[in-house]
Amino acid sequence: MNTEDLIAQLSQDVPPVRRRAVGRRLAIGIALGSLVSAVLVALVLGIRPDLGLAMRGATFWMKWSYTFSLAIAAVVMVVQFARPDSARLRWTWLLAIPVTLLAVLGIAELARTPPAEWLAMWLGNSWMVCPWLVLALAMPIFIGLLWSFRRLAPTRLRAAGAAAGLAAGALAAMVYCIHCPEVSAIFVLTWYSLGILLAASLGALLGPRLLRW
Amino acid sequence: MRADEDVLHGLMVDGLGGDAAAHAALLRLLVPVLRGFYRRRANGADDDIEDLVQETLIAVHVRRATYDRERAFTAWLFAIARYKMVDHFRRVRRLHPIEGLEEVLLAEDFEPAAAARLDVEELLAILPTKQADMIRATRLNGLSVAEAAKAGGIGESDVKVSVHRGLKALMARIQGGAR
Repeated sequence: MNTEDLIAQLSQDVPPVRRRAVGRRLAIGIALGSLVSAVLVALVLGIRPDLGLAMRGATFWMKWSYTFSLAIAAVVMVVQFARPDSARLRWTWLLAIPVTLLAVLGIAELARTPPAEWLAMWLGNSWMVCPWLVLALAMPIFIGLLWSFRRLAPTRLRAAGAAAGLAAGALAAMVYCIHCPEVSAIFVLTWYSLGILLAASLGALLGPRLLRW
Repeated sequence: MRADEDVLHGLMVDGLGGDAAAHAALLRLLVPVLRGFYRRRANGADDDIEDLVQETLIAVHVRRATYDRERAFTAWLFAIARYKMVDHFRRVRRLHPIEGLEEVLLAEDFEPAAAARLDVEELLAILPTKQADMIRATRLNGLSVAEAAKAGGIGESDVKVSVHRGLKALMARIQGGAR
């Protein structure tokens, strides 16, 4: 096609773009994906029966603050990778804050517990399935982000994929909290984080293939 | 009109506001800018360059929401143009791994040149030394016939004849495809 014709054709369709269009687009993808994950938890895994009670305790909020702050840090990275001219990644160190805080909490918890119970506390009842469920619940959110990226312009595809996977994993872990009855900080620190890391690795693996434009 | 940052930025912002005429004007101004950008970097055929220009125009159009009005327009544009170039090379040659775009980008100009150089050296190896040396001096290293003659310690006509015979032999070799 002639370049002049192409320009004429492209110029037929010039809708106004809001200032916060990138954030909006990402927010929609994340919200839709999270909704699907939440419905999956409710239908397939089941909401924990004592959720109302748990939400009045500190443990639930410990888990939510951990996963939520990881999600925020990851989304900050995703937003940067969404633009082609993201020169240098900033705010990555934010990720270290929730991890450090939870580790401190975990150590305090271990200090209060007799060593004989450490293993049981660390493995809980669901360590074998927890990372995989987080990974599975991350998929709808990851797909939501892939949809968002279709109008965005990442140029570092592997890093963008990893960030998207990380965000999806952290949000999935947050959703998973409405099912998971585990209470210990070291459980969350290990098995939740492992699930989130799996999602980030999958994102890094698939990013170059799925985010191409 | 010279397409400078201020003009392009202004048109882009108007286009983002929904002004189709400004958007069209912007895309039109980008054509020579992008042609220049790709010509300098990709020594491909004009068709390839034009493909790249069009692909980039489409990307600029489809992904215009990713432009931040507070930032430099040309930085945004060239980031897209670079991405499209790397993507294009990858598709055409299927040679580069998909990660590390920046590194690939830096090597992009060097690599084809190096590969071509290797091929030439291989071919030159089949020629008599004098012919190979004179071709190297005059055609690859850019010496004039007089300089090459001086450097090789032979007459100017000898240089010309050597280069001529050498090139002819190479041509026959390549066209025959024998190896």
